Amino acid sequence: MAASLNPFRCGATSMPVPLLLMVKLVALCLLFTNHVRLLPDPFLPFLPFFEGLPYFQIVLKTVFLASAVLLLFNRRVRVTSFLLGLAILLGVLSSRAYYGNNKTFTGLLLLFAAISDFGPRAWPIRIQMMIVYFGAGLNKLLDADWQSGQFFEHWASVRLKNPVYLAISPMLAPLVAAKIMCWFTIAAELSMPVMFSVRRLMIFGVWMNILFQSGLLIFTGTTFTMFFYSMTAAMLAFVAWPQNKVIVFWDGECGFCAKCKGWMERLDFELLLEWRPLQSGLGERYGLSMEALTARLHIVAEGRVYSGFRAFRYMFLTNPLTWFLIAILISGVPENWANWRRAVVICALTFFSPVFAPIGEKVYGLVARNRHRLMADSTCKV
Amino acid sequence: MMEVIRLLIAVPLLAAQIALIGYSRFGTARYFCWAPFDMQTDYSLEVTIGGRELSADEIRKRYRRPKRGTDNRSVQNLIDIIQGYEERYGKADHAQAVMKYRINGGEEREWRLR
Repeated sequence: MAASLNPFRCGATSMPVPLLLMVKLVALCLLFTNHVRLLPDPFLPFLPFFEGLPYFQIVLKTVFLASAVLLLFNRRVRVTSFLLGLAILLGVLSSRAYYGNNKTFTGLLLLFAAISDFGPRAWPIRIQMMIVYFGAGLNKLLDADWQSGQFFEHWASVRLKNPVYLAISPMLAPLVAAKIMCWFTIAAELSMPVMFSVRRLMIFGVWMNILFQSGLLIFTGTTFTMFFYSMTAAMLAFVAWPQNKVIVFWDGECGFCAKCKGWMERLDFELLLEWRPLQSGLGERYGLSMEALTARLHIVAEGRVYSGFRAFRYMFLTNPLTWFLIAILISGVPENWANWRRAVVICALTFFSPVFAPIGEKVYGLVARNRHRLMADSTCKV
Repeated sequence: MMEVIRLLIAVPLLAAQIALIGYSRFGTARYFCWAPFDMQTDYSLEVTIGGRELSADEIRKRYRRPKRGTDNRSVQNLIDIIQGYEERYGKADHAQAVMKYRINGGEEREWRLR
């Protein structure tokens, strides 16, 4: 199957779906935040080679824009991801004014994604994550202002004027709240390299990184240019992604269910979902009784059975469209919409976190029990 | 083939970062050692050329940094930019620069371009 020109599709290219989704999310955020305007001409370069190169900036911007757009439209995805990453890294090396950790990480992530594959063969991205957190944690650990809490005190109260910190800090002895935050940060950053190095702990590393970066965004309201987008998108290299079709058992005699199926099918650009009416009897093959299938939606993904809210959540989690939507909602708004960004991140985190599952199940149960009343033309017999 | 490409590209880039993390412990610049937002430097800059003080716009154009502001990297990065500019591009101007700065809200310090 030829690669699609639909920017929301991530299948049928030389890159695994989650890796391509990762680099496309980064490319999308680069375009939405108009990052091209920041690309520099040589200015006090780290390597003298860049000094006085004619047309450097225009070439850099052209390569950047062309690669990002071609990548979004699934053209030569490995080459374009590599070139996009290279353009950013060359920008970093050519100008001390442009240099920044967020750009360096973004460039390296795109470059490593271009040469990686899913699973164990994504080791360059995995080691990159370990190095970033080790470097960050070590520097803080050895810094006197981090040890004493002085950094956080100044940052949160003077620079950010964070209302939560300003309310809590005076309740404790001077610098205690700041010290707690500093040492929590150091512990979190130094524990992540360990988590990413042990395969069994990787899932905790993924969650810890997402919570850490989201916490920073919620606390500060900023994405630190590209840091939030790249650090969170990088986790797609490590999450389990379905390699086979996901079988969805739905009630073929329910009008509301048919409507939902229609919506989900329209959004399933990767054709990942295989819809089977529960009346087909196929459920027995997976040990699912007719009674269970009638009561709740069931899916079978990679040999595992999910039902109810968890089934819906799985379908959303594995649909690239969900991630594009979240990325657009965060990066596509003006820079000063800090509360909007906070709200989007909190909603997304809540919906996908295991903590929300019991509430989700309750809402699902309510809808499922009343599904035959939800549509006038419903033919549901349940 | 892909594994060879992976090794050839990834290993030098990753190894260089580890080396730079080690190297950063022997200086104050902290380039490429993944120390993001570890330092808040509030500073104000005064630059004089031929007895005339440069405006905020002129300073921004010259150093690509505002006359007054907060930089969240090592203060040495800022010093490197000013010093580097004057040594590399502005030698004939004989600029005099004074930067007053505070790190993480600490005591005020002063740096002068020599």
